[in-house]
Amino acid sequence: MKYFLHNTWKHRAHVLMCIPVILILFFFNYVPMAGLSLAFKRFDYNKGIWGSPFVKFENFKFLMASGKTFTRMTLNTLKYYFIFLILGTSLNIALAIAIDQFVFKRLGKAMQSIMIIPVFISYAAVQFIVYAFLSNNGMVNNVIQFFGGEPIRWYINPKYWTAILTIVKMWNGVGYGSVLFMSVLAGIDQELYEAAKIDGANKRQQIMHITLPSLVPMTTIIILLSVGGIMRSDTGLFYQVTRNSGILYPTTQVIDSYVLNSMLTTSSYGFSAAATFYQSVVGLILILLANYTVRKIEPDNALF
Amino acid sequence: MEYAAVGNKENVFRARKKKKISVGQYILAFILGLYTLFCLLPILLVFVTAFSDDKSIASNGYSYFPEKWSLEGFRYVFKYGRQLFTSYGVTIFITVVGTIFGLLIMSMFAFALSRRDFMFRKFLSVYILIPMLFSGGQLANYLVFTSSYKLKDSLLLLIIPLSVSTMNIIILRTYIQTSIPEELMDSARIDGAGEYRTFFQIVMPLMKPVLASVGFMMATAYWNDWQNALLYIDTASKNPLQLLLIRIQKNIEFLLNNKNISGAALAAIQKGIPEYSATMATVLTVIGPIMIAYPFFQKYFIKGLTVGSIKG
Repeated sequence: MKYFLHNTWKHRAHVLMCIPVILILFFFNYVPMAGLSLAFKRFDYNKGIWGSPFVKFENFKFLMASGKTFTRMTLNTLKYYFIFLILGTSLNIALAIAIDQFVFKRLGKAMQSIMIIPVFISYAAVQFIVYAFLSNNGMVNNVIQFFGGEPIRWYINPKYWTAILTIVKMWNGVGYGSVLFMSVLAGIDQELYEAAKIDGANKRQQIMHITLPSLVPMTTIIILLSVGGIMRSDTGLFYQVTRNSGILYPTTQVIDSYVLNSMLTTSSYGFSAAATFYQSVVGLILILLANYTVRKIEPDNALF
Repeated sequence: MEYAAVGNKENVFRARKKKKISVGQYILAFILGLYTLFCLLPILLVFVTAFSDDKSIASNGYSYFPEKWSLEGFRYVFKYGRQLFTSYGVTIFITVVGTIFGLLIMSMFAFALSRRDFMFRKFLSVYILIPMLFSGGQLANYLVFTSSYKLKDSLLLLIIPLSVSTMNIIILRTYIQTSIPEELMDSARIDGAGEYRTFFQIVMPLMKPVLASVGFMMATAYWNDWQNALLYIDTASKNPLQLLLIRIQKNIEFLLNNKNISGAALAAIQKGIPEYSATMATVLTVIGPIMIAYPFFQKYFIKGLTVGSIKG
C-alpha cells in the first residue's frame, strides 16, 4: 500500500493528466448509471432523479401490463441484433477476404474507399436517400414500373421493413467494418500461404485453413463487445430511416426508439425507465456470461 | 544500394506481369464492382436530385437522368440563409472544439496509461472499460443531464458526452506503446524534460497519424450527431446542421400534409417549395464537407484503425 502511494506520488504528473477523462466519465457515464435507480421511482421533475419518491416495482408493472408492446419491442430488438451481427460480421469478413485476395491492388483500394463512405453519412441524411428510393415515385418503384410491375407503397407496409432496414444497415456499415478485418489479414505471415501452396493447398483450402482461423480472435472480440448492447440499437436507423412512422412499428420499433420517442413526447417516464433498466441489466449479465464462456474455451480471446 | 533497390522493384514488376491472372479474379472484380456501385449509387442520387428540376421529379419520379437540370433547390436552401449560416457555425464550432478537446484529454490519458511502472493504471484501465460494458441508457442520461446538471439547451451537451470514448483511448494507447520508442521518452527525461514537456514536445508530434485518424472519426461523430441535438437543443441560434435537416423535413411534411390548409393554398405552397430538389440540396450541404474532407484523411484513417485493432 505504501509502495502504491509512493508510486502514485512519483507519477503525479500522470495522475493530473488523467483527471479530465476521469471527471468526464464520472459525471457523464457513472452518474447516469446511478440514474438507473429511476426504474424504481416515480419521476418528479421538481425533485429531480435523486429526490423522486420510490415506488418499488410499480414501473415494471407497466411493462407487464403493456404485454404486447413490450414483447414486440424486445423481439424486434433481438431480431435486428442477430441479423446485423450474423449477416454484418459475415459480410465484413467476406469483403475483407475478397479485397485481400484481389490482385488489382490499386483498384481494390479505390473501391474500398468508396465502400467506406456511407458510414460517414448521418441517418438524418440517410433517411432522405432512402425516401428517394422508396417513396411512391422513388427509384425502386420507377424500376418496378419500368418492368411493368405494380408500384409498392413501401412506407405503409411493415412487412418489407425488416429487409429494408437490413439493407440500409449493411450499405452503411459493411465497408467500414471490413477495414478492421483487413488489418488482421495484412498481419498474416505470408510464409504460411507459401508453405500451404507447396503442400498443394488450393485457394479455397488456404482460406478455410489459414485465413479464417486467423480472424477468430478479432471476431470474438467484436461479438463480445456487441453482446453488452444486445438490447440497444442503432437508434438513428429505427427512428430516422423509418421516419418514426407508427404504421411501421410492428416490424421496426425497438426499445431504444421507443424510449427516444417517449423522451420527446411524454413527461411520464415510468415505462421507459423500467425498459432501460431492463436493457442495461440484461446487457451486463449477457456480456459477463459471454466473457466467462469465452475465457473457459480460449482465455486469450476473452475481453477481461 | 540504390541499384539493388531498383533491380528488386523491376523483378517484382516482372513477376507480377508474368503471373497469369485467373478467371476467378475477373469474377471477383465484377462482384466487388457491383458492391461498389451499390454503395455509390445512393450517394450519387443525392447529387443528381439536388441539381434536378423539381417538376420533372414530380411528374416522372426520381431519376439519375433528369429531364431538366436546375439550381432552384439550392436557391431555396439559401433562402434559409441566416439559419443555415448559423447552423453551419454551430456544427463547425462543436466539431472543432470537441475534436481538439477530446483528442487532447484522451491522449494525455493514453500517455499516462502507457507508462508501465504507473501502478494506478490498472485501476484506470478498469475505470474506462466499465462504461463500454454498462451504461445508464439514454433516459437516465437525459434526466441526469437536464434535471440534475441543468444543462438543457447548452452546447456543452453536444460537446462533452462525445469527447471521451474507451475505444479511442485504447487506440491511442496502443499507438504510443507500439510506435513511439520508449528510449526516446527516456532520453528526453534524462535531458531534464518534465513529463509535460515530454508529452507535448516529443510524444504529441509523433502521434500525428493516429491523431489524424481518431480525430477524423471523432469529427464525423460530432458532425453527424443528431440525437443529442434533437433531445437537448431548443433555441434556433444553437441548432446544428443535423437538427436543421430534421426540422426542414418536418416543415415540408407539415406543409404538405396539413389538412387545415385549403386545397388551393396547399397547391400554391407546394408550387413554392421545390420539395425534392430542395431537400436533397440541403442534404448535400450537410454531408458535403465530410465528403470533401474524407479523401484527405482516408489514408490515416485506415492506418489508425489497423494499429488500434491490435489487442494491447
